[in-house]
Amino acid sequence: MSFTHLHVSTAFSAHYGVSWPEELAAAAAADGATALACTDRDGLYGTVKHLLACMAAGLDAVVGVDLAVLDDDGDLRTQAGGRVVVLAHGHNNGAGYRALCRLISDAHARTTGKAGGAVPVAVTRAELASRTLHPETLDPVLTVLLGPDSDVGRAMRGRRYLRPRTLFKRWLDAMPPGTLAAEVVSQLSPPGEPLSTAHAVRMLRLAAEHGVPAVLSNAVRYAAEDGAATADVLDSARTLKSLPELSAAPQLQPNGQAWLKSPAQMLALGKEIMHAAGYGRTDLKRLMAQTEALADRCRMEPATDMGWKQPVVPEASVIGIAGDPLVELARRCEAGIGRRFPGIAGKPAEALRARLDHELGIIGSLGFAAYFLTVAEVARMILDLGVRAAARGSGASSLVNYLIDVSQVNPLQHDLIFERFLSRDRATLPDIDIDVESAERHNVYRKIFARFGAERVTLMSMQNGYRARGAVRDAGQALGMDDGEVGEIAKQLWRFPARNFREALAEKPELREFAGRVEQRDFTENQQLDLLVDLTERLDRLPRHISMHPCGVILGDATLLDRTPVQPSGLGLPMSQFDKHDMDPMGMLKLDVLGVRMQSAMAFAVREVIRLHPSKAEVVAAGAHPAGPDGNGPDYIAEDGHIDLNAVPLDDEPTYELIRSTHTLGCFQIESPGQRELVGKLAPRDFNDLIIDISLFRPGPMKSDMVRPFLEHRHGFAPEVYPHPDLVPVLQETHGVTVFHEQILKTFDVMTGCGLARADEFRRALGNEMLEGKVEEFFRKEARARRYAPEVVDKVWGTLKAFGSFGFCKAHGAAFAVPTYQSAWLKTHHPEAFLAGLWEHDPGMYPKRLLVAEARRLGIPILPLDINRSQAEYRVERVAAGPDRGRLGIRLSLSGIYGLSGAELKRIVAAQPYDSLADLRARSRLSRPGIKRLAQLGAFDSLHRASGGAANRADLVRHLQDLQHRPQRKGVEVIEGQLALPLGDIELRNLKAELPAPGMVETVRTELDLMAVDVSEHLMASHRPLLDRLGVTTADKLLGLRNGTEVLVAGVRVATQTPPMRGGRRVVFISVDDGTGCVDSVFFHEAQEQAGSLLFGTRLLLIRGTTRRTGPRGISISASMAWDLSRTGTLPFPGAALVGLSGNR
Amino acid sequence: MGMFSESVDVVCTPSGQPLKLGWAGRHYTVCAEPVRWYERRQWWAEESRAPLGSGPGLVDHEIWRVQVRLSDPSPEGGARGEILTLDLSRHVGSGRWRLLRIHDALRTLPKRRRA
Repeated sequence: MSFTHLHVSTAFSAHYGVSWPEELAAAAAADGATALACTDRDGLYGTVKHLLACMAAGLDAVVGVDLAVLDDDGDLRTQAGGRVVVLAHGHNNGAGYRALCRLISDAHARTTGKAGGAVPVAVTRAELASRTLHPETLDPVLTVLLGPDSDVGRAMRGRRYLRPRTLFKRWLDAMPPGTLAAEVVSQLSPPGEPLSTAHAVRMLRLAAEHGVPAVLSNAVRYAAEDGAATADVLDSARTLKSLPELSAAPQLQPNGQAWLKSPAQMLALGKEIMHAAGYGRTDLKRLMAQTEALADRCRMEPATDMGWKQPVVPEASVIGIAGDPLVELARRCEAGIGRRFPGIAGKPAEALRARLDHELGIIGSLGFAAYFLTVAEVARMILDLGVRAAARGSGASSLVNYLIDVSQVNPLQHDLIFERFLSRDRATLPDIDIDVESAERHNVYRKIFARFGAERVTLMSMQNGYRARGAVRDAGQALGMDDGEVGEIAKQLWRFPARNFREALAEKPELREFAGRVEQRDFTENQQLDLLVDLTERLDRLPRHISMHPCGVILGDATLLDRTPVQPSGLGLPMSQFDKHDMDPMGMLKLDVLGVRMQSAMAFAVREVIRLHPSKAEVVAAGAHPAGPDGNGPDYIAEDGHIDLNAVPLDDEPTYELIRSTHTLGCFQIESPGQRELVGKLAPRDFNDLIIDISLFRPGPMKSDMVRPFLEHRHGFAPEVYPHPDLVPVLQETHGVTVFHEQILKTFDVMTGCGLARADEFRRALGNEMLEGKVEEFFRKEARARRYAPEVVDKVWGTLKAFGSFGFCKAHGAAFAVPTYQSAWLKTHHPEAFLAGLWEHDPGMYPKRLLVAEARRLGIPILPLDINRSQAEYRVERVAAGPDRGRLGIRLSLSGIYGLSGAELKRIVAAQPYDSLADLRARSRLSRPGIKRLAQLGAFDSLHRASGGAANRADLVRHLQDLQHRPQRKGVEVIEGQLALPLGDIELRNLKAELPAPGMVETVRTELDLMAVDVSEHLMASHRPLLDRLGVTTADKLLGLRNGTEVLVAGVRVATQTPPMRGGRRVVFISVDDGTGCVDSVFFHEAQEQAGSLLFGTRLLLIRGTTRRTGPRGISISASMAWDLSRTGTLPFPGAALVGLSGNR
Repeated sequence: MGMFSESVDVVCTPSGQPLKLGWAGRHYTVCAEPVRWYERRQWWAEESRAPLGSGPGLVDHEIWRVQVRLSDPSPEGGARGEILTLDLSRHVGSGRWRLLRIHDALRTLPKRRRA
């Protein structure tokens, strides 16, 4: 006997379902099922995974949704009357699936896409009815199941007789014939409770009264009994109530029986229900038969019903071509040759032609020309907006992409292989990612929607799953634990999967204290903490909600919304319920349009350069640029001073000098402590070195010790070793070490003659348990046939096996290296404009205050906030007076001040300049607290000085403070065009000087409080006396020390990283900033044990360790111990506590 | 209604329904069709661990409500005809039975079942 479960929630029913589609499909198949439904709540979130899981398990997929229906009696917009299950009928060329998608989009159409909206995800009965029939044939394409949680089922929980019948009649009246079924569920809960057998009997009887077919289900939430406790915790997370509260309500599931029961168990359940109803064998048979009949009707045919694996691209007419897309693509490539390779001839031209023909041949045979034209259209649109854009990823391997301006990397120059991107053997749509300025990303999205039409475009979503911190918080809430206590525990969890919590307790030094509490045999607390650990592990990875993917845009033809349900994103634009894993199976074309802050920062810097130096000559002088072909400066600088960053040659020596100095804070990809160590060791000399550097700094290479031999060979400490002379051309650029995917492909090709396309298939199979064996067999056989010695074959296979799965695609590296180089170039030649761009767009991993410290290190003056000079953005300004007169400084921006609203900011800037406080009040209508904050930050200092008053900033703040408590007087209305009398600021001039001026410590504290940046002085400066007494070494002095010197360093934490390391032992990198620069320290196992809870929780650190030289210009600290600098009492130095530490926070 | 938790010996039918039980040295026969359900437990208060893979029996336990009558006339001449309503629970792991409740109101059960 077979039984089909028609009502099953997977884990993708957020905060409801427990089991993954794979678990459910495997369990069903093991029980002998031939089909299985996935009916997630509110959407098709798990549907594609379900489809895949069913295929793997040899099941037919049934697809549906568990949806709330708005109450006709209640407030139509906000009250749901109950939930129903809607199943799509199959084998009707997608009519059922289409109706399901549209219905789900209906249910979300009125919601806001923001959390806590008043409108629930739900449909009206009319909407539901209107979707159930085929629009042309009028055959039913959906079946609606009325079960225990429907309005009918809920009305049956009491003993009312009439109410459920009235409600059922409404359904019968509203729905077309043949679209309704009754869902009979008994979870064997206690008599009288919902989901009891009696409850099931009532539904069964009602269905019989009206001749509506009844089906049996178990309303499944978990694959096996074990999931019941997890479901309890999810109920708590969904309702934000603790388990004791839910239990008292009572709102918990009545028991733990909602699991995927076997056919025999379902039959026994059916028997029990029939028995209780007083029905007989025939009735039981009918119930089971109707269930299977409905299941048969809903079996999906993946290809014809859901468009499985059939790529769909926008119609040719939409991208503006009439004829054959391939002809058009070839024509555009032709045009690109003239632009990208002016004057190319001879051998290079032949090579170019051959490559182009090769690529077009493959694109043509896969039928992807329209896809390339679509991407080109998007790229063109972005560039036309004047937005910086750059392709990243394997798309950079394509000459076609370079010729049609999708990519900025010349694949011929860097020897990139097209097959890594696309080949005849791989019929999946390739990924092309485009980086744009982050500040323009939403704008670009809107333009794409406008350009292709809202019916062809939607944003991609992503699933957000539980990680350790969120899991421990929700587990704590379920247990009713104190928020603060759980928060403290959560803070200590540092990047490990929640599933390994108990293991982590035993291992991680920062959890030692907590582990001790768990182990204490004091029952009440310990019991709770023990459970906390178990429940946290249970929540691991379970989806919590979907959100807009940071970059994915789905493009399709006019049928796109028949193939994916959509819901509003936070941005207001519709978002698909499918995530990136669903794209390829569903034939969806996804374009990654990624907002990159660095692109915005660079665009900003280029604009600042023009503003400051509005001519070519001035820019050339300011940036110390080369004289260029005609002596007037290089071609990439336009007459108006605009720098075309993409045209800057990649061989600027001063730029590489800067990179080698490791002062790369703010530079794309190479600013992290680990990367600064690596660039220090590697000392890049040219662009290819940068590509290699970026490719090496990946988990795989770091873990598998590729870096050390590479560096030894590079610097000639050890001779380069090649497994065979044939491989020298392949591995030469990386000194014999395999780093790139491209090298793996070539190695396969050289030693087996398999061709690059197959080589890429082989590379993909590496690391795959099932396939790797076959690849090895092929490789060994073919390599031996080509007379490679057995030991060569062994050695090379060892390399392929080890590095194949995680080597880096050189095309990625090349695409990344472009903005890396460009940012370093800007930092070298126009540091003020570049830093202003960084402050404005905050692209990096560090807090803004570290970049302020970097400006200080570079000697760039930081100009204070000024009500008349500061703008809504950071500005580079020539210093007018004082010791820095004539130099370029960066003026702080009015944005990012605590408590100052966007509207106030706009008004301030619009009405600048101001001649007095009264003028400011009248024209900017700034709030009193806002004015006080500006005064605290010194924004009125220059106004104050100009007024000739004798008082100081503290007096002014006191004065404004006093004013705050007086009733507001209506300001004098200024008639438009009327000029104020040029009296100057009487208010400021007459201010009495009474208070002492604020000290530096106080000023810095105010700046940190209100702007999170210490501008006037580094916040460590106030600790200096103590640090000097302790004999602490500053960052700028470290480089002068010998390797292995014992030192004390101190500073503010700016970065913490735990990169994957060789041997799997965790290494913690902590960088602190002491005002003279950054100190990078490494905590190995022992030091982590010593530092314990200080590792992740402490802001001000004192660290003891020994220096380790990492390169000619690089040095870091191998830590042995750390202290919390703000807790002077704990410092193990005599007299430390005596020195006041008034400046810390 | 009294609350108990003591061990009882239960003989079941092949399909797992209680048939006879021995309790406090006396033997009883089940005299009406028993009712079975699964009842929630306050596991977060009663258990100290709930690791993944703990299996069934954490969140609920199986309850059987049986009506029994003494199998053998009591030596004290107690009424052989007297019917007791008992709630039994079966432990999921060991299969052992415990007596949870003895009901005084004998007639409530059939009424409830009609619903």
